[in-house]
Amino acid sequence: MKLVLKIWRQQNGNSEGKIVDYMLDDVSPDMSFLEMLDVLNEKLIAKNEEPVAFDHDCREGICGACSLIINGVPHGPEKATTTCQLHMRKFNDGEEIVIEPWRASAFPVIKDLVVDRSSFDRIIQKGGFITANTGNAQDGNTLPISKIDADASMDAAACIGCGACVAACKNGSASLFVAAKLSHLGLLPQGQPERGSRVLAMVMQMDEEGFGSCTNTYDCEAACPKEISVKNIARMNRDFFKASLFGV
Amino acid sequence: MLGFLRSTILSKIVMTVSGAAIVGFLIAHLTGNLLIFGGPEKINAYGQGLRDLGLLLLFLRIGLVVTFVLHIVTSIYLADKNRTARPVSYTKKKSIQSTIASRTMFFSGLTILTFVVYHLLHFTYGIVQPEFYHGEYILHDGRTVPDIYSMMIHGFQNPFIVITYLLAVTFVCLHLSHAIGSAFQTLGINHTKYNGIIKKAGMGLATILWLGYMSIPFGIMAGVLKLTNGGH
Repeated sequence: MKLVLKIWRQQNGNSEGKIVDYMLDDVSPDMSFLEMLDVLNEKLIAKNEEPVAFDHDCREGICGACSLIINGVPHGPEKATTTCQLHMRKFNDGEEIVIEPWRASAFPVIKDLVVDRSSFDRIIQKGGFITANTGNAQDGNTLPISKIDADASMDAAACIGCGACVAACKNGSASLFVAAKLSHLGLLPQGQPERGSRVLAMVMQMDEEGFGSCTNTYDCEAACPKEISVKNIARMNRDFFKASLFGV
Repeated sequence: MLGFLRSTILSKIVMTVSGAAIVGFLIAHLTGNLLIFGGPEKINAYGQGLRDLGLLLLFLRIGLVVTFVLHIVTSIYLADKNRTARPVSYTKKKSIQSTIASRTMFFSGLTILTFVVYHLLHFTYGIVQPEFYHGEYILHDGRTVPDIYSMMIHGFQNPFIVITYLLAVTFVCLHLSHAIGSAFQTLGINHTKYNGIIKKAGMGLATILWLGYMSIPFGIMAGVLKLTNGGH
């Protein structure tokens, strides 16, 4: 395959960036998107040029490190798939592919396609924990959890914190991410002691980080590689309202 | 509690509650206006009935203005926050499942606001067509009241006014087609069992309002509604 890559290049957070065109030949349709970028980088290094910086870690779709807006869609055209699991066979020979970093004031660009997502970490620090007894772990079977709640909690826990929801949202809102984390803990008995204080603290931190507000357009849900439902956002709103009015 | 007051979620609840009040007004306003199909006596007596409320009408109007101001000021606050959340825009961006209505709420809202100002200048303050504003009508009980019936008919005989009205009502319904479902989500109501009904009810209400409001200019253009000799 031959490709025309239009990639965002930016030296660092303080410099101006721009789209740079690269022609890439001999791309195998069986390569993953990141392997295709690896090939490009090898060529750039051989030419003594600066390789394109991009985030990646597990390359098996579970770590949340990879990002990239590919042709205007977070993680590219394939539904429910991270960039690392996207393969070049999803593209056409000779296709022009625009590759950009996540864009949000709370996700400043560090270099090229790499953004700083530590705003997510600060949100997690505000409430992503539970109170647990010290000593031996108790027998898990002593805590009854309904199948419905367990499933809903596990669906929310599938969130890998990649930030595609923020990148897709026209308002740069982190509502889907925060809501997923809140449902993950708030639906289980272990998460109940902090359910109220957790939602207040995490939502306040989300606002403080400069993410936008949710206008219920639901592009986040469609962009999410783990298909997190916007139902979690409704639950977050409900919990936030309850905790604000009736205390934690 | 203080955090609650500063949060974007509270702002969204303000948008929802004020928006719901405005939808209530839209329904009431349409119900009153449809009395035009009952002839000049009905609608002119209705108009006089509103005026006879006196102080209560003043309070209702103040309440309506406050609701509109809350809705507008909050939307400006949120839109500004949302804009600054993405300082550098994408070179290429596709929307994946969002509707046009949901992405253009600020624009449709702004269009509606502009129309509301024009609409008030037209029918409430008589500045747009002063020649049709001062007509009088004698009710069956002998009272002489402003002739709303012929003012509306004269107004909608002007094609420019009909087109403006058509566009504005369409924008209101576009705005509502997103707003109603969205309001439930903001209030935390999202359940597989009810989502279908909420969506259909929202679209249905938007459609009914469009048909209702447009039935008046269409009725006038089709000649169903015409000037009578009752007015002066």
